[in-house]
Amino acid sequence: MRATFKAKVTAAGLILALMTTMLTGCRFGFASDPDDPNEEEEVIPIDTSVDTFEYDSSLEGTSITLLNSKAEIQVALGEMGAAFEEKSGVHVEVMPVTDGDSPYTKVVSLYNSGNPPTMSILDTTDVIALAEEKAADLTEEEWTNEAEEYLTEVNGKVYSFPLCIEGRGIIYNKAVIEEALGEAFEPESVTTLGEFEELLDKLVDAGIEKPVSVAKEDWSLGAHHLQYIYETYDGTSEGAQEVIEKIKKGNLDLASYDRLSEFLDMFDVLKKYNVAKGDPLGADYDEMAIDLADGKTAFWFNGNWAWPNLAEAGAENEDEYGFLPYFLNNDGEDFANQQIQGSPSKQVMIDGQIASEKEQAAAKEFLNWIVYSEIGQQMLVKTCNVIPPFTNNPYEPADPLSRDIYEKVQEGRAFNASAIVPNDHWAVLGAAMQKYLAERSDRKELTESIQEYWDEQE
Amino acid sequence: MKTKNNAKDFGMFALPGLFCFLAVVIVPFVYGVYLTLTDWNGVSKVKNFIGFKNFAGVVRDGQFWTSLLLTFKYVIVVVVLVNVFAFAIAWLLTRGMKGQNFFRAGFFTPNLIGGIVLGYIWQFVFSRVFVSIGESTGWKLFEVSWLSDPTNAFIALVVVSVWQLSGYMILIYVAGFMGLSEDVLEAASIDGASGFVKLKSIIMPLMMSSVTICLFLTLSRAFMVYDVNLSLTAGAPYGTTEMAAMHVYEKAFTSRQFGVGQSEALILFIIVACISGLQVYFTKKQEVEA
Repeated sequence: MRATFKAKVTAAGLILALMTTMLTGCRFGFASDPDDPNEEEEVIPIDTSVDTFEYDSSLEGTSITLLNSKAEIQVALGEMGAAFEEKSGVHVEVMPVTDGDSPYTKVVSLYNSGNPPTMSILDTTDVIALAEEKAADLTEEEWTNEAEEYLTEVNGKVYSFPLCIEGRGIIYNKAVIEEALGEAFEPESVTTLGEFEELLDKLVDAGIEKPVSVAKEDWSLGAHHLQYIYETYDGTSEGAQEVIEKIKKGNLDLASYDRLSEFLDMFDVLKKYNVAKGDPLGADYDEMAIDLADGKTAFWFNGNWAWPNLAEAGAENEDEYGFLPYFLNNDGEDFANQQIQGSPSKQVMIDGQIASEKEQAAAKEFLNWIVYSEIGQQMLVKTCNVIPPFTNNPYEPADPLSRDIYEKVQEGRAFNASAIVPNDHWAVLGAAMQKYLAERSDRKELTESIQEYWDEQE
Repeated sequence: MKTKNNAKDFGMFALPGLFCFLAVVIVPFVYGVYLTLTDWNGVSKVKNFIGFKNFAGVVRDGQFWTSLLLTFKYVIVVVVLVNVFAFAIAWLLTRGMKGQNFFRAGFFTPNLIGGIVLGYIWQFVFSRVFVSIGESTGWKLFEVSWLSDPTNAFIALVVVSVWQLSGYMILIYVAGFMGLSEDVLEAASIDGASGFVKLKSIIMPLMMSSVTICLFLTLSRAFMVYDVNLSLTAGAPYGTTEMAAMHVYEKAFTSRQFGVGQSEALILFIIVACISGLQVYFTKKQEVEA
């Protein structure tokens, strides 16, 4: 009896030890980041001495909720809420959408349980899906004047507040390119697909065997790559909508649509120089950030949201990273070869169905505070580290990717077009793109998949 | 007097359970069936009755049938492998070998790790560990990540599922083996039964009750697989490993075709219920008393 008990304890202990090593083992394996636990997070100070914003004292004591689907600013939003509460007396509770949950599913389930958040941060497609049914009309809000170009309208009305601009393109690591080539690199000097290919060839000759990283994730391939075919139609959201309608109705033959073939020309170039060419669907996202920061590659197709990954991989705010356009052809005058895409991505919607008048007023005040108060302006840029769509905000983002987009937006070298596509576009056509990336389908099959997808939409 | 007591007992012991069962299983189920007949999108205030239009949508959804076929393939392979493997291991672990308690616990451990975590651990193994083994040894098999090839990704799913499910089945089979009467086996030996004959004519019939429950559990779990599917492959590469349950979720929440997704879920339920019902009926018939 005693012996079996002892054996059991030993066995249990061993299993526990095994499990712990296994779990911790995988933790280290996955993290693969050179994070120094002793390194202190740099806190950017917010100057709160000046505040000319007028608070509505009748709202004091109101409590509102904010559903956040932008995980990387969860902590920052909490700080913003606290700062706002201190000044206005309105309590803002920031709720995260947990990893793996879709923001839309979350917000819909909250609505169905009769307890929706006062404000929700959602993607544009989600806002459009919910706007007329659930959202408060924000057309008359003052801030609409500060972000005119970046407003999303549903049947002529504004239901959402653009929180930030996000942009995408070919991220370059300037230092790596200059070191490899032994000469200064001017990103502006590359203006066509041909010149981009030339640059890649030079880098290959200089020893960077495969200078490009292409993520295999379906959201990257299906949304960020493929949507160029709609967005570069004429570089506006209306144009993107127009071309989608044409494809849907069958008025545009995809096989002879020049933007699609041009897009695939560029994609083929990226594919050819892909660092994971041997196994493109086995590519690891975290590794791509490390490769770019370490100089194993020089380019990574992604957007400014990739900065936290790069920073984790060792990139510093002072390093020179930036975006090249997604070159489509050899016409130096084509706007697609000169400009990168940048448009509002996350939007705040206020509940107009269940929230009381007072709660709605408090939520509106919070949004106004972000746009007009000195503290809100600073915190949006410095604490949340996003690119503000509001022209009256004088602060500049700190990380090089956001800064690059910010500058390009200011200089008119970014086009604001976002295609509004059905929610499963990225998943369904992302899979088709993966197949093409892995060379298990050709242009014809991919084109057919796109056409088929649109044919199925009502 | 007696009936009054019965009613009181029923009220005390069965009602709370019955209420919970009704509230979380029966009512949502019936409501779900009702939703398949409406055009509700999960958000709108009005639900219009549209008859069987959603089911017509299911018929048109080719991807659903592909994923259902894949699920059948997966279920067959997993059910067979899990049960053969678990049966064999359980047999080995009831022969009084040294450290068998340790091994029993060891085989059971994967079952204690949630499917999501398990999927991520194995994803790391398949796409990192295997690849680095391939790099250092040059073995063709490990050259690229298993998860980037449709066939290998399917095998990967099967391997992980078998690894996860076996532990629990081993436990049930071990219990079954422990319950085998030594007398019967000894009598068979004296009568001159060889190992295989003993297995076929004595052990198997007596183990049938364990087989019934193990088959039922593996069948239903394999049909409903979602967590491992999601965290290991998420349907990758290019949607070729998307099982039925995952497709249903994607249809309802990613494609936002709530009605069609709900109808597909109902069809999946009917298939699983029929198959597991038939299985229990037929294996039950094989059961004997010692």
